[in-house]
Amino acid sequence: MSTTKWNPGSHLVSPDGKWYWDGVSQEWKPVAQPAPKPEASLTPPAAPTSSEKSRGLDSFVGTIRSEDLASGQTVLVWARWILIGTGLLLSFWTPKDLLTLQVQLAAIIALAFGNFYLHVQLLRGRPALDNVVYGASIADIAVVTALVLVQGGYPSPVFIFYFAAVVGISVAFPTVVTAGYTALVVGVYGVISLATATTDEYPAVFIRLLTIAAVAVCGNLFARHEAERRAEAIRRHTEMLDEIEQKSSTGGQPDVEHS
Amino acid sequence: MSNTREVRTAKQAEEEDVFFGQTVIMWARWSVIVAGIALVLWTSTNVALLTQTMPFFLVLMAVNFFLHGRFVMGSPLNRTVVTVASVIDIVLITAIVVLWPGSHGLNNQFYVLYMPVVFAFALVFTRKIEVAYTVFAIVAYAGACVLTGTVPFDLGNEDKILVMRLIVIAAMGFLGNYYFRIQRDRLARASKGATRWASSTASRV
Repeated sequence: MSTTKWNPGSHLVSPDGKWYWDGVSQEWKPVAQPAPKPEASLTPPAAPTSSEKSRGLDSFVGTIRSEDLASGQTVLVWARWILIGTGLLLSFWTPKDLLTLQVQLAAIIALAFGNFYLHVQLLRGRPALDNVVYGASIADIAVVTALVLVQGGYPSPVFIFYFAAVVGISVAFPTVVTAGYTALVVGVYGVISLATATTDEYPAVFIRLLTIAAVAVCGNLFARHEAERRAEAIRRHTEMLDEIEQKSSTGGQPDVEHS
Repeated sequence: MSNTREVRTAKQAEEEDVFFGQTVIMWARWSVIVAGIALVLWTSTNVALLTQTMPFFLVLMAVNFFLHGRFVMGSPLNRTVVTVASVIDIVLITAIVVLWPGSHGLNNQFYVLYMPVVFAFALVFTRKIEVAYTVFAIVAYAGACVLTGTVPFDLGNEDKILVMRLIVIAAMGFLGNYYFRIQRDRLARASKGATRWASSTASRV
């Protein structure tokens, strides 16, 4: 039997309250019956190395960053639903030709299936696979890029959906990953635009790329500030509890021995 | 644990929202200023054009120097001033869309400047104020397009492009404020010493 005890005060709990995150075995386990993990009782858990922690989204799970990821992912999922809904609406609005419409609908429907999976995972309080989350964001960028290409590159008005995709990415992922995705968007769209725009249109290309990057910076800056504020709030709370505990143990008298 | 008093009052939390949020708004505004000035210097073909277009960005720059200076000095402005400055952002961007020499309304490419401004504002203020601000931006841009006669209202391609842009502006506001509310909730729980994200996250999803 596992020696892991269920303690609601020290674990993350899924939205339905049926699962908790076991940071030792790195698994979600049912609240009522902590999953048996024979080897866990025999061998002490190996401390995660820094190289392990720096990889993958699940490296955040079990720390305060796991919440960052969960709350950021909800924004990412809603950003994608907006992209899908608007994409569908606009696809049926004065479609140009059959091929374009086919490409648009196929890409949007594929994206909808992927997003449905991610949304269900969030509703059930289960973490999605890292590669799926990364892949879904790549798919967002790929779909918008495909639509831009089908519509001729720079003249395509669809590029503004990059904004919605980047907003979700900037608040859901850590800074390095956000920078990578934003660089990808700016790079890919920049190359496409420069290849399809005339020199007179280069200033417009520049302003588009700059504002996409600006949105990413704003989102990630805010997410980082919030993480700092929460850490500070938790620290203050802990200090206050320690103070109360100290007062109660000394009967309200100053603790001369430890002071 | 649940009986423990929250360390921060609601008023203090609101003040902190504006304090931290101001940074985001200011950086969004700096991006608008840098983009605008670079574009003005790049595209101007004569002195008259440069003198007509540069003042828009000089006004924004003056506003942001003042706000950023106050912030760095540790005395950030209150939410009324921040709101007024953000309204000025929208007014100036709309003026650029309407008055920019050569391309007006729907044909003006400066409309993308609405995106960072609306998104940054949504990360700072409560839902009602954010909705009002986003609607203001949408109405301002739609009005600018209509006023310049660049939208024919025939349900054709121009109308489609306008609707697409308005939806994305609205999405910027919605997504920003959605994330803001999630963070408010998390901060409140962190101040109370709670460590669970479960119920509130699920209800928001």
